[in-house]
Amino acid sequence: MVAPGIVDERPGRERQLVRFIVFGIALLVAVSGLTARMVYLQLVSGQTYQQLAVSNSTFQQAIPSTRGLIYDRNGLLLVANLPSYSVKIRPSDLPFSQRAMVVAQLSSLLKMDPADINTAIDGNPGSNFDLVRIAQGVPVATANLIAEEHLALPGVEVSVDALRHYTEGPLFSEVLGYTGAIDAATLKQLKSAGYQPDDLIGRAGVEDQYETQLRGSYGMETIQRDATGRQIQVLSTDSQPVAGDSLTLTLDTKMQQQAQTAVNWAMKASKLKSAVFIAINPQTGEILAMVSTPTYDDNQFAQGISNAQFQALLNNPDKPLINHAVGMQFPEGSTYKLVTGSGALADKKLTPTTLVQTHPYIQIGRDKYWDWNKRGFGAINIVSGFAHSSDTFFYQVAQMLGIQRLAYWARQFGFGAPTGIDLPGEVAGIVPDEKWKQDTFGQAILPGEAVQAGIGQGFDTSTPLQLLNAYAALANGGTLYQPQIVRQITGPDGSVVRPFHPIVLHKIAAPASVFTTMRRAARMVVTSGHTWNLRNEPFVVAGKTGTAEFGVKDAQGRLPYHNWFVAFVPLHGDVSKPDSQLAVVGFNEDANTVGNSATEMVKYFLQIHFGAKHDLRMFNLMKIGDFYGGN
Amino acid sequence: MGVLKAEPAKVQDWATTAVGAYWRAYDIQLAIYALLLAGLGLAMSYSSTVVTGVNPLDPSSNFLRGLMWSGIAVIVFMAATFFDYKWLKTFAWPIYFVNLGLLALSLVIGTGIGGAARWIAIGPLQFQFSELAKILMIVVLANYLAERHDRLGSLRVILGACILMVPTWVLVMLQPDLGTSLVLAGILAGMLFLSGASMKWLGALAGLVIAMVPIAWNYILRDYQKQRLLSFLNPASDPQGAGYQLTQSQIAVSAGGLFGRGLTNGTQDALAFLPVGDTDFAFARLAEELGFIGAVLVFVLFLVLLWRVLMAGYRSQDRFGTVFAAGIGSLLVFQLVVNVGMVIGLMPVTGIPLPFITRGGASLISLAVGLGILQSINIRQSRAEW
Repeated sequence: MVAPGIVDERPGRERQLVRFIVFGIALLVAVSGLTARMVYLQLVSGQTYQQLAVSNSTFQQAIPSTRGLIYDRNGLLLVANLPSYSVKIRPSDLPFSQRAMVVAQLSSLLKMDPADINTAIDGNPGSNFDLVRIAQGVPVATANLIAEEHLALPGVEVSVDALRHYTEGPLFSEVLGYTGAIDAATLKQLKSAGYQPDDLIGRAGVEDQYETQLRGSYGMETIQRDATGRQIQVLSTDSQPVAGDSLTLTLDTKMQQQAQTAVNWAMKASKLKSAVFIAINPQTGEILAMVSTPTYDDNQFAQGISNAQFQALLNNPDKPLINHAVGMQFPEGSTYKLVTGSGALADKKLTPTTLVQTHPYIQIGRDKYWDWNKRGFGAINIVSGFAHSSDTFFYQVAQMLGIQRLAYWARQFGFGAPTGIDLPGEVAGIVPDEKWKQDTFGQAILPGEAVQAGIGQGFDTSTPLQLLNAYAALANGGTLYQPQIVRQITGPDGSVVRPFHPIVLHKIAAPASVFTTMRRAARMVVTSGHTWNLRNEPFVVAGKTGTAEFGVKDAQGRLPYHNWFVAFVPLHGDVSKPDSQLAVVGFNEDANTVGNSATEMVKYFLQIHFGAKHDLRMFNLMKIGDFYGGN
Repeated sequence: MGVLKAEPAKVQDWATTAVGAYWRAYDIQLAIYALLLAGLGLAMSYSSTVVTGVNPLDPSSNFLRGLMWSGIAVIVFMAATFFDYKWLKTFAWPIYFVNLGLLALSLVIGTGIGGAARWIAIGPLQFQFSELAKILMIVVLANYLAERHDRLGSLRVILGACILMVPTWVLVMLQPDLGTSLVLAGILAGMLFLSGASMKWLGALAGLVIAMVPIAWNYILRDYQKQRLLSFLNPASDPQGAGYQLTQSQIAVSAGGLFGRGLTNGTQDALAFLPVGDTDFAFARLAEELGFIGAVLVFVLFLVLLWRVLMAGYRSQDRFGTVFAAGIGSLLVFQLVVNVGMVIGLMPVTGIPLPFITRGGASLISLAVGLGILQSINIRQSRAEW
């Protein structure tokens, strides 16, 4: 190694050489180890990891379709789509350690309660890799600010969505419903239908009922995204979105406004908690107006309702989130005498001229069943009995029919089963019979219950719509139509997907003469003065009042009550003809008025609708007081 | 040590010996391997610049900055070669204190990512003095160990070398820079081993260090450093946090396959899946874009470069040259194994750059200084060894 003659100043050189060799061997071993790992990663498991690398950066993403629009029957736009900014979070891109900071920043930027943001993230219906909707309808300036701060706000994304705009505000809320964020349970069911975790879905009313048609179908695109989830580019469009169908409602905005005006007045004049008004065309089953108060502002939902606001609506005892016209059932009271009377006539228990002796009360066992005037009306026929709404008359008629036949005729008029209207949440009402009583209470119908059922008390309940539909059948001569709220469905290209057809549920199994008699009786309700000055109006109207007791007796032994008035307007003023094109029902829940406030409410609607010159409303009847004392 | 010793005879040698005699001993291979590695580093810098959408010829682009640093490095390399390394022995102590001074200055005026005090701005450029500290400490330790070559069996000398390292080590840890402090420890161990220090005492020392681990864990390591170590042991525990880089870099490496996706075609890094794709994780980008072939090329270049470095040490007729080469060799091996090991999931995440490949002016300049000194050692032996 070292040439002779050269002074080597390196003693212990051999040991050092060994160390250098050991070092070299260690180096070779280490690099071999690294190479082996590279072989494993790049050559052996390369395929799997390459897939992983691709799925890391490419991403299948839905292309939302344009949701269908909604028009009233005259083509007036009721629901539009407005472009708006939404703020969303992809939880997988939000490190847990930074979550509190991000939530705090978002809450101040969006002026939201941090609890609402946390609830949204934790209530995320999808996986952690799916976007969660935090806010919608975000102002442009705020959206830009959040988009620029994306590095400080990991996982937060801003996107442009189409938001529903309800042009008439709360006027149609109960019918149209609203769209809202999809919940976990619904998403699970609809995932295969292409629903996204950050999707909006119809949550009530027509928006819910016609969700499939309105939504259309989403497209699909493959995008490339970076680690922060931001879109780099669209790689391919796998399927194009198809816009949703548009709906034309049967509702008439003008009539809806008139109905709303009448309801608002009644609500205020009688300090009502809740009221319903529905108008229908008896010849087709088209709903022309439908108001249920209290209501909500569907635009508030469209823009993202806060949890506190939603809870307030949800916990409101008057249930503004439920359309009372179809979603709640009440005793019909005297309006139900249509069923008892028609049934008795059809079953030939009575003729139009049969006289029945009425009494102050009838006694069954030890219980007294009083007439409402506590005196009776003497010997009267069906028309008179209906016109005066004699309770003892109809107790006796109910006894003649028996509970089973009474229930049969009730079902003939559409009670006890949903009408099938194209609105969600419809309830069926109750028509008591022997089977129902056995199934529900495990005992037979008592004689007293059988007579009460004849005047719409006891177990009888129905929705305001069911009652209106029964009177619509009376007005059109005995055809029970399925009420409809959507008149026509139009495709995105303007073609008619589903034209309007009236749907007949069935013909009521009674001869036409029965309906003619009952229409005369309904007209006599008005002309006899039972509805006070309604007979003086410049239009001809026939109908029936109802005061339906419910609940628990107060200290004076009196029950609270609902007020009803259900009526129809013969086309040419002649009730003998089944040609009415307008039937309405007014309902005031738990009213405390001295008179029938529902009748006044309907009267007011008709006055506005027909442009009556003189206002015949009787304000004294709207006062709060004792109905029983007033009569 | 401590006394300034001028060596006029050597200066005279330099002046009178024919230039050709020196350059016959110049290790052209060492220069070429280093240049090739630096070229690969520049290519990766180019790729990362293009992929992030920056014009590579933009004056502020990382690529152009890297090109400029490379130019400076070549000049520094040549200057270090011309400089007679024997003066380093004379100036070992001043160098030591200059080193400590620069590190202390970094702590005072330095800036860095996440509150660290690592970088000092020199004009438009940023310089990380802890990189230079590695080379300077190699000089100081080489001098110290060479002077005590006959007493390397004593614990005192070994402990002395350790104590010499402590101030530098503390200043680096204060920045805090776990990576550099580990490299310094690796250099110290490598130099002690290669200079022939007693295995008995080295073993005892290693045992002591291992025993210190629990203490270091509780009192020295910062939370993020612990987090990195924990997530190395179980990357799946926090795939979006500290384990994220590990998972993503392995995906990137694997995606490369045999031939790679081609320069600038890496997807992982381009889409920011690799959070520090042109710094500590540059090898992941290289492996994805240049594939297994490219990665093995890097390994081979490092092996042949290390071979030349160790040969320079072995050839050196004075102790200083041998131990200095041992220091440079230890530095290269340690950084190669730990950085690549980290990228491919064999080692925990520590901020240790891959020499030449990781972007960074200070690292490149420091390597140029170290390799330049080696060349200076090569050409200043009285004759070639073979």
